Amino acid sequence: MSHLGDRLSALIDGELDGAERDRASAHLASCEQCRTEAAELRALKRKLSTLLSRAPAEAAMTRRLIAMTGPGGPLPPRRRLPRLATGPGAADRRKTRRETRRETRRPGFRGPVRRRYLVIGAVSLVVGLSTAAFTAGGGGQAAPGPRITPPVEMYSVEHAITTGEVPFSGPSGRPSVADSDATQP
Amino acid sequence: MFAFNCPVNRRRCPVNRRRDALLTAVLAVAVPGFLVTACSGQTPVSASPQETTVSASPAGGTPSPEARRPASALAARLLTQAAQAAVLTSYQGEEIISHWGTTSSGSVLVSDIWHASGGQTITQTLTAGTASSSEPYLSSDTDGRWPEGVLGVTTQLVRLLETHYVVVYAGTGSADNRTAQIVEAWRENGSLAARFWLDDATKLPLEREVFDTAAHVISEDVFINVRFSKLAPAAAPAGGPSDPQGPWTDPLPAGQLLALRASGWLVPPELPGGLSLFTGAQTQTTTGTVLDLGYSDGLSVVSLFEQRGNLAAKLAGWQKITVAGHEIYAAEPDQRSLTWASRGMVYTVMADAPAQTVDNVIGVLPHDKPPGFWKRMSRGFSRLASWVNPFG
Repeated sequence: MSHLGDRLSALIDGELDGAERDRASAHLASCEQCRTEAAELRALKRKLSTLLSRAPAEAAMTRRLIAMTGPGGPLPPRRRLPRLATGPGAADRRKTRRETRRETRRPGFRGPVRRRYLVIGAVSLVVGLSTAAFTAGGGGQAAPGPRITPPVEMYSVEHAITTGEVPFSGPSGRPSVADSDATQP
Repeated sequence: MFAFNCPVNRRRCPVNRRRDALLTAVLAVAVPGFLVTACSGQTPVSASPQETTVSASPAGGTPSPEARRPASALAARLLTQAAQAAVLTSYQGEEIISHWGTTSSGSVLVSDIWHASGGQTITQTLTAGTASSSEPYLSSDTDGRWPEGVLGVTTQLVRLLETHYVVVYAGTGSADNRTAQIVEAWRENGSLAARFWLDDATKLPLEREVFDTAAHVISEDVFINVRFSKLAPAAAPAGGPSDPQGPWTDPLPAGQLLALRASGWLVPPELPGGLSLFTGAQTQTTTGTVLDLGYSDGLSVVSLFEQRGNLAAKLAGWQKITVAGHEIYAAEPDQRSLTWASRGMVYTVMADAPAQTVDNVIGVLPHDKPPGFWKRMSRGFSRLASWVNPFG
C-alpha cells in the first residue's frame, strides 16, 4: 500500500480538490502511519501560526522600549554587515529591519560614512592648499634686477679711503703689479 | 661731627638712619660699578700698545658739565697740520687698526704703508679678514682731491670733527718712541670721544683712540715703526692688469650727490648720530652702477653702498642677523659689512662707528615690511598657479 506522501501536506493545507481529498481521507482512515504524520503536520502548522501571530506584538514592544531611551540615551547597536538572507520572506524581513533602523535613528545623527569622507577630503584639500600658498607667498616679492652678492673687498677699499684710515688715494683698489719688495724705498 | 655720632639712640636717630641709607646707596652704586668694570672685556681707558706718557684726562664715563672745556685753537691747528702731513710727508711704517664695533671679538687690520710726498701710496695688507686682500695696492692722487690721510685724519674729517666736537690740546706724550702732541675731542655732554697722538716733528698722526659714550674704546689705531724718508716708492709700472673692481669716479660734492635722488637713488643728507653726507662716488660693475655715500661726524664714518637689484639667493660668507628689528646679512668674520635688499635696491653698510649708531642707521634706511596675511596668501596662490600652469 502506498502512503499519501506529498499529498498529506496538501491535505493538511486544504489544497486538494474533492475527489483527491476523499481518497486521501479514506486512506487516512485505514493507515495508522499516515494518521500519525498528519497529526504531526497539523501540530507544526499550529505552532507556526502561533509564532507568526506573536511577532507583531514583539515589534511593537521593541519600538516602545527604544522610544523610552530618548535623546542622549545609549547608542544604537553597532551595525553589522548585512547578511544575505534567502528563503521565503527574506525580502520582507530585510525591509522590516531597514524600517526599524530608520525609525530608531535619533535626531542629529551624522550622515552616511561616504558623506563624511567627502567632507574630510574637502577640508584637507583646502587646508593643504592654504598652507602651500602661505609658504609659497613668503620670501618677499622678487623685484626686477640682477642678483647681487655685495663685493666686500671692493667696498672695504672704498670705505678705507672714505675713513682716511689707510692712506689710499686716487682711484681706489688697484692692485699693484710691482713686487712689494721692489717697491720698498 | 654730631651728625655722625648721635649718642641718643643709634638705631632710631634719624641722622644715623640717613647715614646708613647714604652708605647703602653708595655701596649699591659702587659695588656693581666696580664689578662691571672688572668684568668688562674693554677697559674704559685702554693702555696703548705703545708706551705713552699722557697728561690728558681719563675718558669720562659720566658726562658732567664741569668736564666741558673750551675749544683750543692750538688743537685745531695741530689737527689741520696732521691732515696736511699725511699728504705732504714721505713716510713708511706699519699701521694697525683695531675695531670693536658690532661684534665682541672686534677686527684688526695690519698694513704696510709707503707714501711719497704729494703722490703715490702703496699699501699692503698683512693680516685681515676676508674683507681685505694681501695684494699690495697702489694709489695715486696727484691733484689732491681724494681724502688721503692717516688714522682717519683727513682735511674733510678734521673739518667735521671741529664742527661736531670740542677739540682741545692735552699736552705732550710719546708714541712709537717719538715725542707726540696730544689732542682730544670731547662731546658736548662732556665725555671724551677721541684722543690723537701727533708726531711732534712732522705732525703725522701716530696713534688714535676712539671712545663711545660709555667710555669704552671702540677703535684703537697705531702707526708704528715709522720712518720718514724723501725716498718715494718705486714708480708704478705703466699699464698693468685691468682693474677688476672698476674705477670709482672722483669724489662727488654733496650737491651733486643729492641731485641723484631724481634718478631714484636714496641719498639722505644726514644719518642718525650726527652723521653728515660729506663724500660719495660711483663706479660701474658687471651688475650695474654702484653708488657710495660717505657719512661722518669727524670720528665715526659710515659708508652706504647702493646698487639696483636683489640679493643673490645664497650669499656665501654672509650670515643672517637681526639689527634694529630687521633681518639683514652680515659678512663674516667681523660682521663689519651689513647688507639687505629693499624695493629693488641692495644696500650695504660699512661702518666705523659705535654699535648704537650703526643700529640707528640701519633702522632709518628702507626695509621691506613682511606682507600681511591676505597679501601673502594671494601671492602664494599666484605662484602656485604659475607653477602648475603649463603655458605660464
